[in-house]
Amino acid sequence: MSLLTQYDADAEALRRGIRRFLLFAVLAMLAVAAAIAIRQGVFRQTTGYSFVTNSAQDIVKGQAVRIAGFRVGSVSEVSLKDDGHVAVNMEIDADYMRFITHDARVELRKEGLVGSATLEIMPGADQSRLAPAQARLAFSRADGLAALANQVRDEFIPILKDIKTITGTLADAEKGLPGTLARVRESADALNVLLATSNRQVEGIGGTAIRLMGNTEKSISYLGQTLETTNQRLPGMLDRTQQILDRTQQVLDHAEKIAAEAEASVPPILRDGSAAAADAREIVSGAKQTWPISSFVGAPAPAMLKPDSDPRGEAGRAR
Amino acid sequence: MRAKSIFLAALILAGCAGAPKPAGPPRLHAALEAENDGAKRYARGDFGMAERRFDEAMRLYASIDDAPGRTRNRLHLARTRLAQGRDEAALDLLNAAPPDAEPGPALDTLLLKAQAQLALGRDADAQQILAAATGRCGAACPQAASLNLLQARAALAGKRPQDALAHAEAALKLLRDTGEAVETGNAWRMIAAARFAAGDAAGALPAAETALDIDRRLALPEKIAGDWLLIGDIRRKVGAGDTAAAYQRALEVANAAHLSGIAGIATQALAGLGTAGSTSR
Repeated sequence: MSLLTQYDADAEALRRGIRRFLLFAVLAMLAVAAAIAIRQGVFRQTTGYSFVTNSAQDIVKGQAVRIAGFRVGSVSEVSLKDDGHVAVNMEIDADYMRFITHDARVELRKEGLVGSATLEIMPGADQSRLAPAQARLAFSRADGLAALANQVRDEFIPILKDIKTITGTLADAEKGLPGTLARVRESADALNVLLATSNRQVEGIGGTAIRLMGNTEKSISYLGQTLETTNQRLPGMLDRTQQILDRTQQVLDHAEKIAAEAEASVPPILRDGSAAAADAREIVSGAKQTWPISSFVGAPAPAMLKPDSDPRGEAGRAR
Repeated sequence: MRAKSIFLAALILAGCAGAPKPAGPPRLHAALEAENDGAKRYARGDFGMAERRFDEAMRLYASIDDAPGRTRNRLHLARTRLAQGRDEAALDLLNAAPPDAEPGPALDTLLLKAQAQLALGRDADAQQILAAATGRCGAACPQAASLNLLQARAALAGKRPQDALAHAEAALKLLRDTGEAVETGNAWRMIAAARFAAGDAAGALPAAETALDIDRRLALPEKIAGDWLLIGDIRRKVGAGDTAAAYQRALEVANAAHLSGIAGIATQALAGLGTAGSTSR
């Protein structure tokens, strides 16, 4: 009898233990579920905002929405409207509503060259009035690299045209440097002839003195004409030179302005292109030395250039 | 997916099959890589970047006190500058180099100096350097063909076409069965130029066409354009009707390869024939 009583007591203790364990397990599961729900923002108060755009490119459901780089919400819905536009709804943590002014703007940005796209809410200038819940905000896309490249190209085309005009003026056979130099050369040749003639005539003293005087007179007359021609042409040459200098100065001013603007607007990643290329080369070089790629790629040997005694094919081009 | 797995497995197996190769010192490895990259860019005609890479390699070799590597890359750099037409810069680089004890690089330096002097039109200086190079190069030195070609260029510049032809033909004989296509093309061009200068225009034409064939196979725009100019000159001399076509081809190649000097010569030649060239630059 006493043996059966002892057995019942043990069974009851075991059942009590099992019940306690199951209760604890259920409570632990509920706590975990509650933690996940809190983490997911189920109990967080949010406010909806929306915007409309022409294209859903780079916009997806769940995408982060930021203010000043801080994540404050996410895209809750992306839908195509009947008129072909795309409606995008966002859920923003209510704590951050105070930053969203009535003239705030949503901008789609890329993180770096190949980074993911994020939506950034840019508060407007008028801080006195906040946007109401469910308000529709303005939307824009940040300029990409292609747009920047096009901008730089558009700025450079007029400069290149100016340079082309200037070089054309300089190279002009009649009015440019070649023509001017040719005329100067003609004048120099005439002077040489004059000097040579004078030398010959000075040697022949005596009977040829009269002829010498006549020739000298002619030569001096020719020299006078040459100088007169030079005097006539000099102002024009100086004017043209001044024009060229003025235009060159304009081009330089323009180029300087563009360079300053480009320095401010070109993304840092482009400025660091050289460093990036060096890094890439380093990575490739390292990869080549890493197993198993190193088994396939041989170590570099000293390079030998093929002999070439006439690299520009100049033989026979004696012109 | 299956192909990807098989490829991955094959990669791992192949990697396991070979013993790991010992990696050289990192600085030497970097110098060799820069040198090889420069050589690849030189072969592609990207002379600007090739110059930077050879310069980098030269400095790396200098930093590890590797004299042969530094000398080799100085020569590569000089050749790159000559190919760019920067003859004075190439000469400065070669003149600044300390005298080399090794006979091979020393002879190469002399040949490149002579090449630069010829390109600069200083024929007397080139002749002196070539005489010194001849003293260093025996009958069978590896640079004998290039030396003969430079002697031919010097002779042609000195209005001695028969000497030029003899040197060019000697070079061609040395180049037979060597596989040096670039120098073989140069030799044929030189033979054509020498025959043309000697008054044998009919004999010059096939030589120039052979040079053109070789340069086309090697895809060297500057030489192709130069060959067409030479062919145009020869055709004009023999009175062939398709002279303008040859100059036009030279102009087209020069314009496409941005060779303003040759384009200017071709345009002048076409103007001399009374044919308007289309300058698209």
